Amino acid sequence: MDDTGDTALIARCLGGQQDAYEAIVTRYQRGLFTVALRMLGNYEDARDATQNAFVKAYEHLNTFDPEQRFFSWLFRILKNECLNVLRARRPSQPVSLDLPSDRAADPVEVRERQRAIQTALMSLSTEYREVVVLRHYTDLSYDDIAAALGIPATKVKSRLYTARQQLGELLMDWRVAR
Amino acid sequence: MTNLNDPWNDDEVTRTLNDLPPVDPPSTLVNDVMSTIASRGAARATHPSVIPTKRGEIMAKKVLWIVAATAALALIAMRLVGYPPVEKGTEATIGAAQRYQSPQISSADVKTEDAQLQTFLQSDLFRQLTTDKTARQALKNKDFQKALQEPAVRAALASSDVRSAIGSVKPGVAGDAAALAKYDLSIRAALDANAALKAAFDASPALRAALVSQDVIAAMNSAALAAVLSQADVSNRLSNDAAIRAVLSAPDVAAGAAGGAATDVVAR
Repeated sequence: MDDTGDTALIARCLGGQQDAYEAIVTRYQRGLFTVALRMLGNYEDARDATQNAFVKAYEHLNTFDPEQRFFSWLFRILKNECLNVLRARRPSQPVSLDLPSDRAADPVEVRERQRAIQTALMSLSTEYREVVVLRHYTDLSYDDIAAALGIPATKVKSRLYTARQQLGELLMDWRVAR
Repeated sequence: MTNLNDPWNDDEVTRTLNDLPPVDPPSTLVNDVMSTIASRGAARATHPSVIPTKRGEIMAKKVLWIVAATAALALIAMRLVGYPPVEKGTEATIGAAQRYQSPQISSADVKTEDAQLQTFLQSDLFRQLTTDKTARQALKNKDFQKALQEPAVRAALASSDVRSAIGSVKPGVAGDAAALAKYDLSIRAALDANAALKAAFDASPALRAALVSQDVIAAMNSAALAAVLSQADVSNRLSNDAAIRAVLSAPDVAAGAAGGAATDVVAR
């Protein structure tokens, strides 16, 4: 993602040119929505969380520090939105894995596998799930993930290792059940 | 061949995670975001202090909750810490009555003089002193008062020879050094019997001046003062400031009530 271009667009937004923000939303909507979907496992929730994150980011654009990556800053806002959604869910309420219908063309076995992976992801705790999602579904480096989460890079790696271990066990159960 | 009961290795998990494809966001997402921003901007322009959120809550309500929670926490903290402190005896009162409370009189506040002084103040000798102008005038003299506090001086003045020697000094010579020297000789002769006073007399020009002052010379001829000075136990009373104050305050009252006034002075 082009940080230099971000800076110019943000400067235009702060100067009152609202259309510049449209360019930012267009640029980051795919990455942010994917993260939201993998974090929440529900298409509608992911859409609401992404939309709210973009709106709040616009309203607090003057607090953005140009020294950091814009996507990292956006992610922190999105993470709060996702946590709000997860908190609003009742613990006993099963997660409805409402995945995008445009992938319906995939073979049944592939869709089944994708659903199993998403189910396993949702079984992880939030702090493990977020490192997996940021590592596998964004182009952030370990340092960028560490900055976005506010933890050391070593902790990112250790959490990622533990998360993969847990995913391996969860997916083994799925393979046995097939 | 993979055993179904083998846990997945790290590479396999990674490959599986990467199998999940990127997902296209809703096609209306950009428009939805921009229209929400535009509508919120318009709402803020018309209601700048109230920003509606997605769930219909208003910021003012959040602020109200925060203020209420803060107040509750403050009250709990004050209760736990015990601030402000409640004074003993003011519990359950709106405000403690601020009455003046004078302290109880204590034994230290009651000053009693010794019985001998009281006896002296009620004696005929004391009454004579209070009615003798020359004696009172002498007792007003600060140097004489100071001299009377010396036991040696009182002992010397108990001698009629010393008193007559001092009393023989003619009035008007106190400021005349040559004339005074002449009388010094007679006083010194009279003091031969009292070595201590003689030494003090020689060493202290102030004492000499006090004893040969006009007031004291005149007082040496006072029968009342002579009567007091001649009795060692009684003259000892004149070393007491209270007694002298009593004598000096006596003119303020009728002669017959002098004793009562003196008692008041002592009580002060």
